[in-house]
Amino acid sequence: MILLGELALWIALPIGVWGAVAGFVGGRKDRGDLVLSAEHSVYAVFFLLILTSAGIITAFVTDSFEYWYVANYSNRELDTFYKVSGLWAGQRGSLVFWALLLSFFSSAAVFTNRTKNREFIPYVIGVLLTISCFFLVVLLFADVNPFERLPFAPADGRGLNPQLQNYWMTIHPPTLYLGFTAFTIPFAFAVSALLSGKLDARWIVITRRWILLSWFFLANGIIFGMRWAYEMLGWGGFWFWDPVENASLLPWLTATAFLHSIQIQENRGMLRVWNMGLVTLTFLLTIFATFLTRSGLIESVHTFAENTTIAFIFLTFMGVLAGICVLLIAWRYPRLKSENQIQSFLSRESAFLFNNLILLGAAFSILWGTLFPLITEGLTGQAIAVGPPFFNRVNLPIGLALMALMGIGPVIAWRRASRRNLVKNFLMPVIVGAGVVAWLFLQGVRHGMALLTFGLAAFVLTVIVVEFVKGTKARARIEGEGHLVAFYHLVSRNRRRWGGYIVHVGVVMIFTAFAGVAFNREVTQTLDPGETITIESPFGHEYVLTYQGLSSPRGGNMARQAVALMTVERNGQPFEPLTAEKRIYFKWESSPITIVGINSMLLEDLYLILDNVNDLVGAFDNDAGSQRATFRVQINVLVGWIWYGGFVVTLGGIIAMWPSRGSTTTASRSKTKTGGKRSALAVRG
Amino acid sequence: MKDNGRFFFGLGGVALVVTYLMWTGVSETMMYYMTPVELMARVEQDPTFHQVGVKVSGRVELGSWTREKDEVLHRFTVVDLLDESVRFPVEYRDILPDTFNDTETVDVVVEGRFREDGVFEATVVLAKCGSRYEATAEELLG
Repeated sequence: MILLGELALWIALPIGVWGAVAGFVGGRKDRGDLVLSAEHSVYAVFFLLILTSAGIITAFVTDSFEYWYVANYSNRELDTFYKVSGLWAGQRGSLVFWALLLSFFSSAAVFTNRTKNREFIPYVIGVLLTISCFFLVVLLFADVNPFERLPFAPADGRGLNPQLQNYWMTIHPPTLYLGFTAFTIPFAFAVSALLSGKLDARWIVITRRWILLSWFFLANGIIFGMRWAYEMLGWGGFWFWDPVENASLLPWLTATAFLHSIQIQENRGMLRVWNMGLVTLTFLLTIFATFLTRSGLIESVHTFAENTTIAFIFLTFMGVLAGICVLLIAWRYPRLKSENQIQSFLSRESAFLFNNLILLGAAFSILWGTLFPLITEGLTGQAIAVGPPFFNRVNLPIGLALMALMGIGPVIAWRRASRRNLVKNFLMPVIVGAGVVAWLFLQGVRHGMALLTFGLAAFVLTVIVVEFVKGTKARARIEGEGHLVAFYHLVSRNRRRWGGYIVHVGVVMIFTAFAGVAFNREVTQTLDPGETITIESPFGHEYVLTYQGLSSPRGGNMARQAVALMTVERNGQPFEPLTAEKRIYFKWESSPITIVGINSMLLEDLYLILDNVNDLVGAFDNDAGSQRATFRVQINVLVGWIWYGGFVVTLGGIIAMWPSRGSTTTASRSKTKTGGKRSALAVRG
Repeated sequence: MKDNGRFFFGLGGVALVVTYLMWTGVSETMMYYMTPVELMARVEQDPTFHQVGVKVSGRVELGSWTREKDEVLHRFTVVDLLDESVRFPVEYRDILPDTFNDTETVDVVVEGRFREDGVFEATVVLAKCGSRYEATAEELLG
């Protein structure tokens, strides 16, 4: 099986190259036989990469430590669950995984378009297979072959970094990769549109769901990563502004911009050049994110990237792709220029454009801050770094502006908004927003930025609720339906719009949660069993934690484990107890891992860190005299709303993506496109 | 036409605000990112550099880490990656990341101020046990 996997990897490359060539030539010469062969190549590459991935997983599960990759990321005692996830635990496997997902999405895109949109398909296949081939070349020739053998078979592997032995960490990378790879499909269609000269909004209509799907996975991937950081890194934070995190945020920001700007193109025929640019930029950023995550370029400014070959190959590939796309757009520029112009400053397209510019501003500032040490070192010889204060300073105002636009965008009219339209739609939300700020101020909240955030959140939520209520009422009246039925029909008739609003609600919840950080509290104390820590939350709850001592169970892949138990009283009433741990994993004996205790409530989390046990060895041996330990207790305000917001984003995303009956043919799509504008206006009026 | 003017005015405004935020953000939060060798040379030359916040990347000296009893106060020594004779003591009053230890090779980035008394007062410590993520064939054999 392992050998078969290795063989499959080698066979995939020539087939991919053939398919890419056949796609381009078949498209150019209009040769159906070549295109058909290219399509088969897409499926063949997918099948071969399944074999390759199966080979790697087999190597992990059968403890084949003669393979360098397995020896570095697994050991005998590791849970099978984590052995399987070894496929994406390190650089080598994750490159295979990337290629596998890309070939899966490529096959899905080719299959769903087997009887329609045929004029795009040859070039789409050409682009998709070219990108697959790039990853195959990297795997086979850049010194990162996952099937590289050691000259001997070690008795055991080095084990998986214990910080990665966490549920969220096993699903976080694949989710992000799904997002990255799914975005290749819209990119391929965009390039195909440029090559074939079909420059209207067709490529957008065809790939709309793909764009949503990619956005959806990216959003979830980022949230899973935050969850992992919150549970695993043991300092109560969820975002570091670390280069790798930033790299995953960048394509999400530009994809968000793209999701909005394509609506202007669909509705008003504008921004065609801009959208081509955005789709290219987002795609390049997904490659950049993969590259940054897996090359260690940024962390090691003062040493050298561990594998300079791969850095060189990636940068060259990105440079060449960017160059080709710029040339293609320039070539088609005369035909891409818009037919329409912005008619009014106060219009939805204007709001969307501001949203685009602000999102790109955020992306640019984050890219700039991430690469700043490299840029300054290159220019002046002295590296200068910026850290979290920089990112927070720049992105807080940007986030607030985006929230304001989330409230304005949905209700402002296309083309030109009248004063009446503005007053009618915004009066109530503004009053509610101001009311919330006033109420919180009277409650003693004095943090300006947080007040602004909560006020804007209330404003946006009111706008959205009013939209839902108005839409439902109008439908109930016109169609004579009950309110529940009318609500259901309202959403199901225009899933993208109403699903989008639900996503906005989720995003607002997440932004609100970020503002909660301003109110966090913490206490650090060293205790003997029986002693207590008291902490009061900003909501006025008093928590008293009594240290009951350490115990030392053992299990799984753990060599030793010390668990501290705290009984908790909340406002004098007994409350759920908390445990916090130090663990030592096999193969990682010198680095104890901190496992935090979290009690998540609606508005606040009680978060317990076991910082230090004075005599950890004694504690592991259940020595009654080695119980003295240092704890930190935190109240993390509103953190839970990140995860609740994540659920709402997921829900909204699924509603927006859900296939509607009879809508899969492009004919009916373009019909609703022209008709939809009017009906949307009618519902709003 | 009047609206178009307003519109571009608005877009230009956004671009200006973002640029302004980035400019002030960089100038108020930037830190020199140096090696211990560079830091030593710099403070030798310019004693006021003791007041400046810097980010230094180096390696934790094996066996140098001590912890004040019952307190969250850590002391350890950072050595230069290339020139092992260049080193300085560090004090840090917060919880260290799990990746930090002094029994194997750990690369660190410390952020803070190099005081006049020759002690680096760190406000942030990032640790990466680089060698632990991937091993060479010889290491696997041993």
